[in-house]
Amino acid sequence: MSVIPATDRPTPQVRRFGAVNWIGLWTLYYREVRRFVKVATQTVLAPLVTTLLYLAIFVLAIGNPAHKIGDVPFQAFLAPGLIMMAMVQNAFANTSSSIMISKIQGNIVDTLMPPLSPGELTCGFALGGMTRGLAVGFVMWGAMTLLVPVGVHDFLFVLFHAVAASLMLSLLGIIGGVWSEKFDHLAAVTNFIITPFAFLSGTFYSISGLPPFWYGVAQLNPFFYMIDGFRYGFTGHADGSLAAGLIVLTTVDVLLWALAYTMFARGYRLKA
Amino acid sequence: MPTLVMPRRYGAVNWRGLWTLCLKDLHRARKSFRYSVLGPVVSNLLFLAVFAVARGGAGSYVGDLTFLQFLVPGLVIFAVCECAYSTSSESLLFDKMEGMIADTLMAPLTPLELTVGYACSSAAMGLITGAAVAFPMLFIVDLPIASLPSILFFATGGALMHGLLGIIVGLWAERWDHHAAALTFIVIPFGFLSGTFYSVASLPALAERVARLNPVFYVIDGFRAGSTGHADGSAITGAVVVTLVVLSLAVCAHRLFRIGYKLKP
Repeated sequence: MSVIPATDRPTPQVRRFGAVNWIGLWTLYYREVRRFVKVATQTVLAPLVTTLLYLAIFVLAIGNPAHKIGDVPFQAFLAPGLIMMAMVQNAFANTSSSIMISKIQGNIVDTLMPPLSPGELTCGFALGGMTRGLAVGFVMWGAMTLLVPVGVHDFLFVLFHAVAASLMLSLLGIIGGVWSEKFDHLAAVTNFIITPFAFLSGTFYSISGLPPFWYGVAQLNPFFYMIDGFRYGFTGHADGSLAAGLIVLTTVDVLLWALAYTMFARGYRLKA
Repeated sequence: MPTLVMPRRYGAVNWRGLWTLCLKDLHRARKSFRYSVLGPVVSNLLFLAVFAVARGGAGSYVGDLTFLQFLVPGLVIFAVCECAYSTSSESLLFDKMEGMIADTLMAPLTPLELTVGYACSSAAMGLITGAAVAFPMLFIVDLPIASLPSILFFATGGALMHGLLGIIVGLWAERWDHHAAALTFIVIPFGFLSGTFYSVASLPALAERVARLNPVFYVIDGFRAGSTGHADGSAITGAVVVTLVVLSLAVCAHRLFRIGYKLKP
């Protein structure tokens, strides 16, 4: 029985990546996108139906067509808020459910084993969630324009706030998904943190109608700035300071990115 | 001489089995208490807050009720319905997905006992959740009780209707997608568009006629009338419609259990 001498075999080389493992990053991103596209009825059509229901309910319940906020008709005021709410909820759902399900089913190792750095993991997941948020937002926008006069006042504001808000909730979804150990925990994050912040952020009403104390509190909510700036992009009506909004959103995005990165780097609740 | 083991005899109804089936689902709901009960409490308080602010001070009367008095019964009864639906459909679907449904089918329970057991436990969960949702709201909004029997009748009717619908969806569904689709495309639109948040009398004529064809409208309207005395439809029609719909859904669910639809080969 002949044995090939070890020296004759080519020594396997460690595969080298440049600064960024582009193939790995693209694969992770592509998987995250394919995940929601495959069940588009649940991830795009369902939010669309829910959002249109909200539109119908609020328009019917608030009633009076002459009802205006500033000089904006109520429907035109409401539409951008609803689009934004659907976007952020879906961006959050994409990353949090992806990580949570992988953890519960044990296939998170398939994501942790490949040569992806913490930065690449954060980036792949975050951009995947952001893509879902933007896709949902785009579909909502299309549907809304058929029903409500939605003009665009400043497209750059629309774009910046859409991207910054989707990214923010997508990062929060990573953090929530990594932190949660059971679906209960994730449901608690959604029910007790995300939904209240989103509902109480001025989606459905102008915060300038609030009593002074609550007006102050509402301005501490980062969700307020993303809805307010996004709405300004459509209607030209803002309740708060736009410059403050740009700073708050950028800062929060950077901080959340750093937190998500740290979680992946330390393997928090992911590695033994 | 070996003693023969005789088959165990039950009377007309296997009471112990029925009771055990009910308890099983109630225990399951209790374990996910935070999610199944506290979740609706928080989201409905949010709805209340948002509507209170968005609706503002001006013109916030529906008939002779304040808007919040009008809104709270709608929110409560819808929470009852949604929770009842989710309890039975999630229970059946979960057991089917995990293969545990055999434990329920093997037990000496007749199709009628299965139907009654699932319907009662889910209706009970719906009523418990409804009470939890109503409780904090009573401190915020001054709610009269016009007729306790109507409140109980329509709350129970709505809970049973949705619990039975949940059984049918739970048996039909093969994946969680199906359950979620029925919730998003059937249960929530039917509830939201039939007067949870607004009086159907304020709808355009055609939309109002359509809303009045929806059995959920009678559940919501009857419950609201029981609490506030404000009715958009007739209480007698409502009681008849709700009873008929509950009975036909029960017959349908019973038949599905009897033929073992998607349960037995």
